[in-house]
Amino acid sequence: MKIAFVSPRLHEPGTVGGAETLIYSLAQDAVRLGHRVEMLCTCAKNHFNWANEMPEGSFERDGMTVRRFPADPLKVDSFARLQIDLSRGRRLSDAEEAEWLRSGVNSSALVAWLREHAADYDRVVAGPYLFALIREACLAVPEKMLLVPCFHDENYARIRALQAAFRGVRGFLFNTDPERRLAHRLMPGLAPRVEEVVAMGIEPFEADKGAFAARTGIAQPYVIYSGRREEGKGTPILVDFLDAFRRRTKRDVHLVMTGSGPVDVPPTLAPAFHDLGFVSEREKREAMAGAVAFVHPSVNESLSIVVLESWLARTPALVHARGEVLRWQCESSCGGLWFGSYPEFEEELLWLLDNPAKAAILAEQGRRYTLERYAPDAVRARFARALEE
Amino acid sequence: MNDEPTQPAIRIGADGIDVHKVEEEILAAVAEKRAQGVYDDDLVARAEKNNLLTIKDDETFMEQYLVCLRQIVPVDINDFEILERRSRFAPVSKAVKKVIWKLLKFYTYRLWSQQNQTNNVLLAAIEIMDRRYRKETAELKARIAELEGKV
Repeated sequence: MKIAFVSPRLHEPGTVGGAETLIYSLAQDAVRLGHRVEMLCTCAKNHFNWANEMPEGSFERDGMTVRRFPADPLKVDSFARLQIDLSRGRRLSDAEEAEWLRSGVNSSALVAWLREHAADYDRVVAGPYLFALIREACLAVPEKMLLVPCFHDENYARIRALQAAFRGVRGFLFNTDPERRLAHRLMPGLAPRVEEVVAMGIEPFEADKGAFAARTGIAQPYVIYSGRREEGKGTPILVDFLDAFRRRTKRDVHLVMTGSGPVDVPPTLAPAFHDLGFVSEREKREAMAGAVAFVHPSVNESLSIVVLESWLARTPALVHARGEVLRWQCESSCGGLWFGSYPEFEEELLWLLDNPAKAAILAEQGRRYTLERYAPDAVRARFARALEE
Repeated sequence: MNDEPTQPAIRIGADGIDVHKVEEEILAAVAEKRAQGVYDDDLVARAEKNNLLTIKDDETFMEQYLVCLRQIVPVDINDFEILERRSRFAPVSKAVKKVIWKLLKFYTYRLWSQQNQTNNVLLAAIEIMDRRYRKETAELKARIAELEGKV
């Protein structure tokens, strides 16, 4: 088969984005399955301004042809205004939805290429859902399109113009069962030809529990968060909760963060806060391995790769109870606990600190679950089935 | 398509831990401590400010908001430890602060105790209104369901 993968940005070191990583990983799986693969993406690297930083054109990488197309200029004023309305939960009119799509992330050149070369491809895989570019790609080749939506329960997922385009596609590749159920709640009567929970394969690894403390000198127990630091990811909640935890319990528990984005830390937490920024995979895994828990306070995730990685590093998870997918990951693996309020967070962190043997069992259960469900071979087999259907 | 919830992938054996049971125990401990007033602390209420924004349905939001309000409503009017972070002149500075506090205590006690009375009255009013609206909403929902059943 010849398969095109459409991703707004190309996954590469320094480009933080779970969805881009997922699409790239699936493309690599397709290469390993023996298919001819092309990756179609924009020349943008920065997901705030979508400036065309990389040169247009094609090149070979990791056994596939990468084609970069210029992103259309973002109409910042109208886009930002409607984004704010959407994030506040306002329902847009049809005209406003059209304006949001016209103003947002798109690439006319990429869509034109896809329409022109539609006959060359047997399948097109695209995602995530919330870009005008992905909608256009769905409309260009609906009968070949396998959408990787990465749906969250948010207002963007209720945009009628997006839903109308998605209803016509060949199939969906979901990350989890809750995401699949959410898709059916959002679009009642949805009946695609292909519907598979595929997710992303993670290579097993071993990480030295003591390496991080030895390298950094952080001898105190700590909790860790890795990824983008922003309101949508719930990082302010983690900062608030850990600050209150330290002040109330007098336990000297530190907070380690890796990834990008600003963090507003109160003076009382500052001496116990360690912002590592971007680190190598090895450093991240060692930092995870030495932690009391990996805390994920987001309520909007379609699959948390970092939680799976923390389990592989033999560290239990502590996640937000209102994050449906994160909670599902912990419930179905028995690899972590979930909190809905500060008192629950306090009790759970105390439980993990005071019961290290039990915490290790939770982590081991999480590791076993990750190895069974997210082993690269298992994921590749599910993906191959979806491609052939 | 199967809409059944996924069964846990892990089979809990003799050495395994069922997180649902741990959660049950933790929630029970939280409920007991809450009843004892362990979380009646403005630190807890302040810690919840960003977390409250994650609540999507109004009913749960109001419930949690009232919990936080109850925790934060009493203004602490007791004596407190007077500290001086600057090492230079610390003993003198501390002594001056203590004298100022003793002089102001009578006045602030009167002011803050009145503030506490106001806060408690307002909280009670909000709680009464909340209970009334919940009751009315539940009755209206039951009535609508009954009428829909008749149609």
